[in-house]
Amino acid sequence: MFGYIRLELLRTIRDGGFIIFGIASPVVMYLVLSNLALAPGDKHAGAIVTMVSMAAYGALGGAFNNGSGIAEDRAAGWLRQLRLTPLAPAQVVSGKVITGVLGVVPSIAAVLLTGVLVNHVTLSAGQWLAIVGLLWAGTVPFSLLGLGNGYNLTGQTAAMANIAALLGLSIVGGLWVPTAGFPGWLRAIAEWTPSNSYAALSWDVASGTAPGPRAIAILCGWLVVFGLYARYGYRRAGRTA
Amino acid sequence: MEIDAVSLTAVTKSFGAVRAVDGLTLAIPRGQTVALLGPNGAGKSTTIGMLLGLIPPDSGKTAIFGIDPGQAVRQGLAGAMPQEGGLIPRVTIRELLTFIAGTYRAPLPLEQVLALAQMTGLENRRVDKLSGGQAQRVRFAMALVGDPDLIVLDEPTAALDVEARREFWNGMRTLTGRGKTVLFSTHYLDEADEQADRVVVVDRGHVVADGTSTDIKKIVALTTVSVTAVGEVAWLGDLPGVTRLEVRGDRVHLRSADPDATVMALAQAGAVRNLEVTPADLEDAFVALTAKETV
Repeated sequence: MFGYIRLELLRTIRDGGFIIFGIASPVVMYLVLSNLALAPGDKHAGAIVTMVSMAAYGALGGAFNNGSGIAEDRAAGWLRQLRLTPLAPAQVVSGKVITGVLGVVPSIAAVLLTGVLVNHVTLSAGQWLAIVGLLWAGTVPFSLLGLGNGYNLTGQTAAMANIAALLGLSIVGGLWVPTAGFPGWLRAIAEWTPSNSYAALSWDVASGTAPGPRAIAILCGWLVVFGLYARYGYRRAGRTA
Repeated sequence: MEIDAVSLTAVTKSFGAVRAVDGLTLAIPRGQTVALLGPNGAGKSTTIGMLLGLIPPDSGKTAIFGIDPGQAVRQGLAGAMPQEGGLIPRVTIRELLTFIAGTYRAPLPLEQVLALAQMTGLENRRVDKLSGGQAQRVRFAMALVGDPDLIVLDEPTAALDVEARREFWNGMRTLTGRGKTVLFSTHYLDEADEQADRVVVVDRGHVVADGTSTDIKKIVALTTVSVTAVGEVAWLGDLPGVTRLEVRGDRVHLRSADPDATVMALAQAGAVRNLEVTPADLEDAFVALTAKETV
């Protein structure tokens, strides 16, 4: 299984979609939003909040891209080929989930490093650790949603569904523009999205408060929903592979 | 008794109203090279899919070396090349084969696999930047790299040109020389004739003929023995082996299931005049076999 993860990671870092949605786009948007869109007085606080938002956006990009990969693999007959090797199906699925989890690391790292090196963001060591940990662990529900799309939908459709989910969740969840500026009805929706809860955990840590139980509960709820969705797709795909 | 490499017993599979495989039984002893020959839609791929544990049969039993196919694949006893697909973008041939090899307990050395599949020197090429023939060789290499005792190839040469097909079978022969059991499906008759020890003809989901290619030609008795004869010729139809007699002018054409015996009898009767023996080719046999049931 180690060999499988290694191979999948190699494919991930050579994937243009991953580089664009997972790394380049969040870093560039971070630089633009934190340097051009903020009033000078807000700069330090804004740079921190935006850093978290964009790291979250990048991590989502990586997670969804991994899910699209599954649909691509299915179309290419790769999953069937794997079933003809001694690898057990459970090892293949775990390998893909682990690839997704590891694949978001460069996205998070790229934005956080840009924050430190370019925008001179300063946080305590404890805050850094908590933010990295929360941003990382919090991607699991999105990885599952991406994989669910990858198993349930075919090639192109899966990729489009995942990009739509990425953009939709990023925008409505307030990762691009803070929800404070949203109309009331949209803010009400935003507060129930997994992406808003996911980023809220790290926004709280960055501003020096403990993550709220409400955000944790909502994210866990979505974890269950997306987990079931991915499981349903995996079983369905297994019957037709 | 030694356990068969492949054992299919009365397997059946339907897709909706279509019965793709219909009570097919096939046993392959170790070390044989067997061609599964049949027209498109005969049920070859479905049979192979069931044999490899990819498709669950509706009824019947399947086994590889006496155990459940899925388990046999898990233990690295069988390697397979599906009809299409199985290649992923953004990796090199070396990376791909090294990964597949790593899933087996005792894989072949990479250099040997590259040589067998005639890809030495290409190992650092990206898999998505290969020609059709090269890609097919990579897929072949994926089936071999684990050094399985049973190798199953579904239409291995369907996408290849004549030259590439010949190269492919050259590599294949090296393997069969090493005692491997090989099952391949094809709709190229010459391939079945030349490459297999045994030809199993499949049509509408079941076996219609099974034997060496010579046996199969015999079954359908398509060898024609012709001589020049005048006068009363009906007695020629009673000669050993003769199944049909046809007179065209002064030529008598005898369809024979045992041309050797027919010719002997002709000689004993002193009736050999401008003797001509036209062996059936497998294609005729194949057409005769698969057309028999057509209404």
